[in-house]
Amino acid sequence: MDALGSLGAGFAVILTAQNLYLCLLGSLIGTLVGVLPGVGPLAAMALLLPVTFTLTPVGGMVMLASIFYGAMYGGSTTSVLLNIPGEAASVVTCIDGHQMARQGRAGAALGIAAIGSFIAGTLGIVLLTFFAPAISAAAIRFGPPENFSLMVLGLVCTLYMITGSPVKGALMIALGFLGAAVGIDVVNGRERFTFGFVNLTGGLDLLAVVIGLFGVTEILANVEQIARGAPLAGRIRNLWPTLADWRASWRPILRGSGLGFILGLVPGGGPVTASFMSYALEKRLSDTPERFGKGAVEGVAGPESANNAAVAGSMIPILSLGIPGNPVTALLLGALIIHGIQPGPLFMTQRPDLFWGIVASMYVGNIFLLVLNLPLVGLWAQLLRVPYYILFPVVLLLCVVGTYSANKNVFDLWVMLGFGIAGHVLRKLEYDLAPFVIAFVLAPLMEQSLRQSLVMSPDGAMILLQRPVAALLLAASALLVALMFRRKPINGGGSP
Amino acid sequence: MNRTALVLALLAALWGGPAAAQSDPKAELARLKPKDFPTQPIEFTVVYPAGGGMDVAARLLAKYVEKWSGDRIIVNNRTGGAGMVGHAYLATQAKPDGYTAGALANLVWGDAMLRAQGRWAYTDLEPIAYLNTDALTWVGPTEGPYKGMSVKEIVQAAKDKPGTIRVATVPGSMWEYIVEQIEASSGAKFLRVPFQGGGAGIAALVGGNVDVAQGFYSEFRGYLDANKAAPLAVAATSRMDFLKDMPTFNEALGSDQYTWQVIRFVVVPKGTPADRKAYLAAAVRAAMQDPELIAEYQKTGAFFDPKLAKSTDLPKDLGEYAERERAFYVQTGRLK
Repeated sequence: MDALGSLGAGFAVILTAQNLYLCLLGSLIGTLVGVLPGVGPLAAMALLLPVTFTLTPVGGMVMLASIFYGAMYGGSTTSVLLNIPGEAASVVTCIDGHQMARQGRAGAALGIAAIGSFIAGTLGIVLLTFFAPAISAAAIRFGPPENFSLMVLGLVCTLYMITGSPVKGALMIALGFLGAAVGIDVVNGRERFTFGFVNLTGGLDLLAVVIGLFGVTEILANVEQIARGAPLAGRIRNLWPTLADWRASWRPILRGSGLGFILGLVPGGGPVTASFMSYALEKRLSDTPERFGKGAVEGVAGPESANNAAVAGSMIPILSLGIPGNPVTALLLGALIIHGIQPGPLFMTQRPDLFWGIVASMYVGNIFLLVLNLPLVGLWAQLLRVPYYILFPVVLLLCVVGTYSANKNVFDLWVMLGFGIAGHVLRKLEYDLAPFVIAFVLAPLMEQSLRQSLVMSPDGAMILLQRPVAALLLAASALLVALMFRRKPINGGGSP
Repeated sequence: MNRTALVLALLAALWGGPAAAQSDPKAELARLKPKDFPTQPIEFTVVYPAGGGMDVAARLLAKYVEKWSGDRIIVNNRTGGAGMVGHAYLATQAKPDGYTAGALANLVWGDAMLRAQGRWAYTDLEPIAYLNTDALTWVGPTEGPYKGMSVKEIVQAAKDKPGTIRVATVPGSMWEYIVEQIEASSGAKFLRVPFQGGGAGIAALVGGNVDVAQGFYSEFRGYLDANKAAPLAVAATSRMDFLKDMPTFNEALGSDQYTWQVIRFVVVPKGTPADRKAYLAAAVRAAMQDPELIAEYQKTGAFFDPKLAKSTDLPKDLGEYAERERAFYVQTGRLK
């Protein structure tokens, strides 16, 4: 009741011509940077940060936040159409989304992604509206042991993603860990695997790695196909999801919403982890896991919902505690500080206009995005008709621009190129690239939280079992591993 | 554009006050402006991500430098390796042509002394203007066994029961050095839990995962207001105006060695032409006498070190602070 009244006041703040315009503008920019491979929300928001100085605090925040969630809508577009993720959070969408496009069902994939995003985004905001204080109180208790156990669970989930040889999959996970170890040791501040290069002290940039492995690699693969005279894209058949698609998708959308929201709350969780875990979950729960990787609509619906819900979830620590969980929310925090506002536990009561204004704008923004994106589905699908000799040079250019714009460091371009070539070779040898990325994302968080836990604990690793939530998450991980071994004989004759 | 500038200058002259007392910054800027500079936007390089403390300070500065000089300033975040990548860029790659300046914190000294491995030195960067200072502060819990304790009592507790009090630190930085100093001089032993920054440590304090958090006023102000954290002590030479109740470490522990602060200043790469350097310095000084910018900085919890704010030889005065840091590294065996 109380929350509803406050939300009403928030809508009063937001329903002015200027704020609505900013929300729409942010949604548009977000969709665009989402669609453009390489150019991410972080770079776009940093670029527009100075613009927000001239706006009111509410207006500035509304625009920046809408870029963030708008990018989650747009991210799936190139994943589906070109097999190149627009964002790191859309890497998994490539797997089945692009297969759907090859079967002529690009429209269905994009439609499901947009509507799933809308449902998940809105559900996330509903949770944010009614339970923000309670959720933030629980989230702040989440310490290093709980974090570590959650990362373990995340990693176990990725085991389900491995297609083909499990040995090759495990190898890619190990390589992901190794790649993530480059840079400054989070615990003692020393350099690791930098070989004296200043540019390696920052570690390998996630964006450069993802764009290299998926963007450049895909371009190389296509160039090769063209050279061999292989057919380009399949025809576009139905533009909209069928009833069967809906029947298969509504549960993944709801599950993705819940999973994404929870992962958004956790420091270091966020959209990328959420999308991977959702994919793994759907594959695990499916009666027909063998369809995954061959155009299963659940493999699009789940992850695309999860990454949007994660955005709503990640707004809770920032708005109700002033704690950023990922670089994008850190930037939102900075934008508030520049306006002289320091969010903390009292933000909600001291600046209800801002808090509820931002929450209300997220409802509005999600509607804008749905309305923007559904008609665009048809338009984007036309992209497949663009000849590859025009399309791919443009995409490659965008990859270069996007990668450079994140850190303004030319070295990142070499990383992108290196991973592009390595990815091409690995794909030819039938190594899966997705497990590498998820291990690369999870490894630093896992390492840090494990070492923090061990430092904190008087009884060594026992701390992971002494804390109930951590123990529960570890038990769930163990169960998943056990189930995996059990599944093998049933499937019989599958992978060795 | 020019008319506004004129009106502003007139207003400043009429107003009197601190601005006019120091000679008119507009006139000073016009006098120092080189004929051929600037003809394109000037980049303020920030070596930390957008939205962080240094970024906020730099962006506020850029806004007021634009206001006073009329030149276009672009804040550019060259990030990576906790500042290492950007610092190395400024010292070794940036063109010394006046179009690149760095908005830095004194953390550049630690990078240069301990991590640059001779690839560059902090003297490759010439300080041209001082911005502000933030002092490292300890905050304690408002629940549990250590609630209501003073910093002295907490240090005593860490001496009585070594290794039980959990302090959030950031490895390889002043967060860790101050703990080390306290341990060395008191015989106490803390349990140091590594985090990536002050904000993460405060969250861990409120969540009951550490007993003492360290950070800057802007990072924990919200928690103090909500009574979720209690101020313990500040590592500055005097108490902070906005937190008069909080003692300095030096008074609480009876010493003069606990001064750990982030000093923010502007540098240009060595070799930048003298006239351009003088103009940029004057532009930053003009912004820094604007009461609005001062107020914005104070809102973020920063204060102004009188020695640096009134300095007539900034490289020398900053150099003294740097040498003090070097002495600490030598004393603790980090540096030979």
